[in-house]
Amino acid sequence: MNALTALGEALVLIGTFFYFLSALGLIRMPDVYNRMQTSTKSATLGSLGVIVGVGIWALGEDFGSVAWLTKTIVIAVFLLLTNPISAHALIRAAYRSGIPLWEGSVMDKYREHIEAKAKGEEGETPKEGGGE
Amino acid sequence: MLKRALAIISLLIIGYWLAQGLAGVPFGQDKMLVGQYYLNHVREQTGAVNAVTAVVVNYRGFDTLGEVTVLFIASTGVGALLWRKKRERTAKTEGSVVLKTGAELLFPFIVLFGAYIFIHGHLTPGGGFPGGATIATAFLLLYMAFVGYEIPHRAFEKVEGVAGMGYVLVGLIGLAIGGYFLFDWIWLTWKWGAENIGRLFSAGFIPVIYTLIGIKVGTELSGIIDNMLKEEVGE
Repeated sequence: MNALTALGEALVLIGTFFYFLSALGLIRMPDVYNRMQTSTKSATLGSLGVIVGVGIWALGEDFGSVAWLTKTIVIAVFLLLTNPISAHALIRAAYRSGIPLWEGSVMDKYREHIEAKAKGEEGETPKEGGGE
Repeated sequence: MLKRALAIISLLIIGYWLAQGLAGVPFGQDKMLVGQYYLNHVREQTGAVNAVTAVVVNYRGFDTLGEVTVLFIASTGVGALLWRKKRERTAKTEGSVVLKTGAELLFPFIVLFGAYIFIHGHLTPGGGFPGGATIATAFLLLYMAFVGYEIPHRAFEKVEGVAGMGYVLVGLIGLAIGGYFLFDWIWLTWKWGAENIGRLFSAGFIPVIYTLIGIKVGTELSGIIDNMLKEEVGE
């Protein structure tokens, strides 16, 4: 076992640990938004660790070649780019379809923003605003 | 309740019956008759490293032609079922800035990856159908992110037809040269790329046909998506 193998094994171990934390967060957290927060972040990090770790691990073995590392890095970059976008779209769709926040949360700036925007649009149309 | 119980009981009976049938099949033993022939002869007969694509395109090319026809009929059927004079996209919410930028950035890479899949069908797992589906995913992404997006219809429908005709044409050239439909003339007559097995320019007409199938499937599935996302609008 050389240094590259050991480094790859360590990365895969770290990655699986973060996978475990992500699954734990799904059970532990109180509402959709908190669950998404824990699961997407740690699952992205965990996948990066596992994927790049496998590439480095293969470099240290007899059968490994640089092709492994190249492929894994391409996959890792693709995951790194796409995972946050999908999490963003999911969260936004959840908020738009009216899923409530956890009762312990104290602030909802986005709702205030939407309401302010709606009010501003009402003020702009003169007939509706001035008639009452 | 009674209905559900009856359904569960009959499903259990069918499952037990199927399991009884499968119990006679010995798993883990070498029972290959035709499969062994494919594995032994795939290299010198087709030049492909990927035995699955060699079977699908070369040995049993008629099945693939049938599958392409099925997809074409599905696309035409959806178009015929949903046909109206005036149809437009009536999506209301625009995607967020993050989604739009992300879709714009990712689109060329997804198309590139789909093209990679169907061009390397004879070397790596995949082939025309997965590659085409990946390309259609890229167009679906654009449809989801942008309210007003539509595929360029005229170009797409023509390309779809030309790709399908190209497949049949390659088969007909084989009929003229080798005596039967879908005869692999590039490999068996010309011996083109014979010292090149395992690299990109090899395997006779498998890359050619898979490129045609990939383009066809990609445009076809995009067309189905387009048809299903549109609604009728009043004058």
